[in-house]
Amino acid sequence: MSESPRRGRILVGGSIVAALLLVGIYLAAGGASYTPEKTQDPCQPRPWSNPQGLGEIANQFTISALDGAACQLGVSREALARALASPAARERFAKRYGIGDAKLAKAIRAGLLRAISDAEEANALSPLIAGPLRATVERIPLEQAIELIQNARSALTGVEGIFGPAGRLLEEFIP
Amino acid sequence: MGTEVRRPRAAALALAVALVLADSSVVVLALPDIYRDLDTSVAGVTWVLISFNLVMALAAVPAAHLARRVGPGRAAAVGLAIFAGAGLACGVADQLSTLILARCIQALGGAAAVAASLELLPATVGSERRATAIWASAGATGAALGPAVGGLLTELVSWQSIFLLQVPVALAAAVPILSVARDEAATGIVSAERRRTGRPHLAANVALAMVSAAIAAALFLLVLLLIEGWRLSPIEAAAVVTVMPLAALLGSRLDRHVPSARARAAAGAILVSGGLAGLGLLPKATVLLTIPPQILVGVGLALVLSALTETALHGRAPQAIHGGWTISARHAGVVIGLLALTPIFTHDIAQERKDGINAATAVILDSKVQPLLKISLAQKIEDRLEEEKGKVPTIGPAFEPLPDDPAERSEVVQLRDELQDQLNRGATHAFSPSFLLAALLGLLALIPIGLARRVEL
Repeated sequence: MSESPRRGRILVGGSIVAALLLVGIYLAAGGASYTPEKTQDPCQPRPWSNPQGLGEIANQFTISALDGAACQLGVSREALARALASPAARERFAKRYGIGDAKLAKAIRAGLLRAISDAEEANALSPLIAGPLRATVERIPLEQAIELIQNARSALTGVEGIFGPAGRLLEEFIP
Repeated sequence: MGTEVRRPRAAALALAVALVLADSSVVVLALPDIYRDLDTSVAGVTWVLISFNLVMALAAVPAAHLARRVGPGRAAAVGLAIFAGAGLACGVADQLSTLILARCIQALGGAAAVAASLELLPATVGSERRATAIWASAGATGAALGPAVGGLLTELVSWQSIFLLQVPVALAAAVPILSVARDEAATGIVSAERRRTGRPHLAANVALAMVSAAIAAALFLLVLLLIEGWRLSPIEAAAVVTVMPLAALLGSRLDRHVPSARARAAAGAILVSGGLAGLGLLPKATVLLTIPPQILVGVGLALVLSALTETALHGRAPQAIHGGWTISARHAGVVIGLLALTPIFTHDIAQERKDGINAATAVILDSKVQPLLKISLAQKIEDRLEEEKGKVPTIGPAFEPLPDDPAERSEVVQLRDELQDQLNRGATHAFSPSFLLAALLGLLALIPIGLARRVEL
C-alpha cells in the first residue's frame, strides 16, 4: 500500500476514534442527564417525612400549603412561592397568570386546609388543633393567609394569636 | 518578480483574506454590547452577523467576475478600500439600520478583495497549488480567530473598535497590491489569463456549505453559552474560544502530511461533528470541559475547510470564479446555520431558564432552612430575575451577606451552590439540541464529501 492512502486512512480512523472517545466519555460522565431537576406536580401528594420538632413541622406545613394552593391555581409550587415573596412579585404573578386577589385567597385557603390535613395524617398536628385551625383558615383574609404560609412556625407557636385565649391551651397539643 | 516584492504581497493577500473572512464571525462576542448600545432586539442584532454573511454569499461570484473584468489588482485594492470605508461607517454607526447597511457594503468590498486575491496569488507565489493552500488556510485561520479577537477588543476597548481597527489593517493590506493595480491601470492589460469558466464543483461546495453551517453554530452557540449562559465576560469568553484557532493551527500542520484532500475533508467533518456533539453533551458547566470539544472542532475546521476549498478549486479555471463559489458556499452555510439554529436555541433557552429557575426554587423550598429564610431567598431570586430580564441570573449576590453562624453559613453556602448548579444545568442544556443538530449537519457533509471526485493534490 502506498504511503498516501495509508496516511489518509489513519487520519480518518484517528478522527473517528477521537470523536467517539469524547462523546463516550462525556456520556459516561452524565452529559445526557445534565439537566435541571424536574419539579414535582403540586397536585400529587408529597408525604411528610417524619417531622421532628416544631421547625420541621412548620417547614412541611409551608410546603404542603404551597402545593395545595398551586394545585388549585394550576401553577407550579415554585412560581407561587416566588409570587408570595413580595407585593410587587404578587402583582407580576397576577398579571402573568390573570389571577386576582379573590382567586388567590381562595387557593391559599385551600392550600392551608391541605397542609392541616397532611399534618394531621402525619400525626404532627392534634385533631384538637386541626379542627379549629380549619375553621379559622376558612375565614382569614388573604394577607393573613399568606403570612401563615410564610411563617407557619410563628403561627403554630403563637396559636394564641389566631384562636384567642384558648390558644395557649391548644399549644400543648402541638408536638 | 523578486522575492522582496513577492513576500510582502503574498502576506498582504493572505492578510486581506483572513481579515475579510474573520469579519463573518468577529462580531459574535460583541453582539450583547451592540444590543445594549443600539437599544435593539435580539433578532435585530443577529442581522449584524447575518447581513454580512448573506451579502458575501450573494456577491462572491459576481465580484470574482468583476475582478477578472477590471483586473484583480484593481478589484482587490478597491475592494479593500470599500471594506475599510464601510468599516469606519460601522464603527461610528449609532443606529442598527446604519450598522447593518455598512456591514452589507463591507461585505461587497470584502467579496471583491477575497475573490481578486485568489486571482493574484498564483502569480505572486509561483504555484497555483500553493496559492490555493495559502488562500484556504488564511480563510480558515481568519474565521477561527474572529470571535476571540472581537471579544478581546470589545472588552478592552469597545465593539466599535473592532470595525475601526479594520480600517488601518485593510489599508495596510492594500498597499502592496497597489503596484499591480497601477500596472493594470497604466497598461490596460488585465494579467489574468482568459479561460472559459468551468462548472463549479457541486459536491465540494455543498459540503463546504454544510460544514460552514456547523462551524458557525459552534462559534456562535459556544460564545452565547459562555456569555449568556455561564455569565463569563467577553474577554473571558474570548480567552476560552482561543482554543479553537490554536487547534486550527495544529490542524493546518496535519494538512501537509496527508495529501489526500478527501481524507482530510472526511476527517475534518468527523472531528467538527464529534466536537459539536461533545459540546451538546457537556456533563458539567465548566469551562475546562469545553476545551477537548473545541480542540476537535478547531483541528477539524482547519482540515475540512482547506481540503474542500482545494477540491473545489483543483484543476478548475478561472480560480477567482471558483474561489467565489467557495466563498459563496461558506457564507451561505453560515447564514443557513444561524437562521436555522437561532430560533431553536432561543426557544430552548427560554424554556430551560424557566425550568432552571423552578428547580432552583424547589431546592430552596425543599431545604432545611427556616421558612422565613426560604421566603426571603425566593424574594431575592425574584428580584434578580427582574433585574436580569431574559438572562440566566447569577445567584451568588442573592445570598449576601452570608450568616455569621458557621453551621447556618455552611448550610446557606451549600444551598447557594445547589441553586447555581440548577441554573447552570438549565443554561447548558438549553444549547444541547442546537449543538447536536449542528453535529448532525457536520456528519451529513460526509455524503457530498464521499461523492466528491477523488482528488490527490
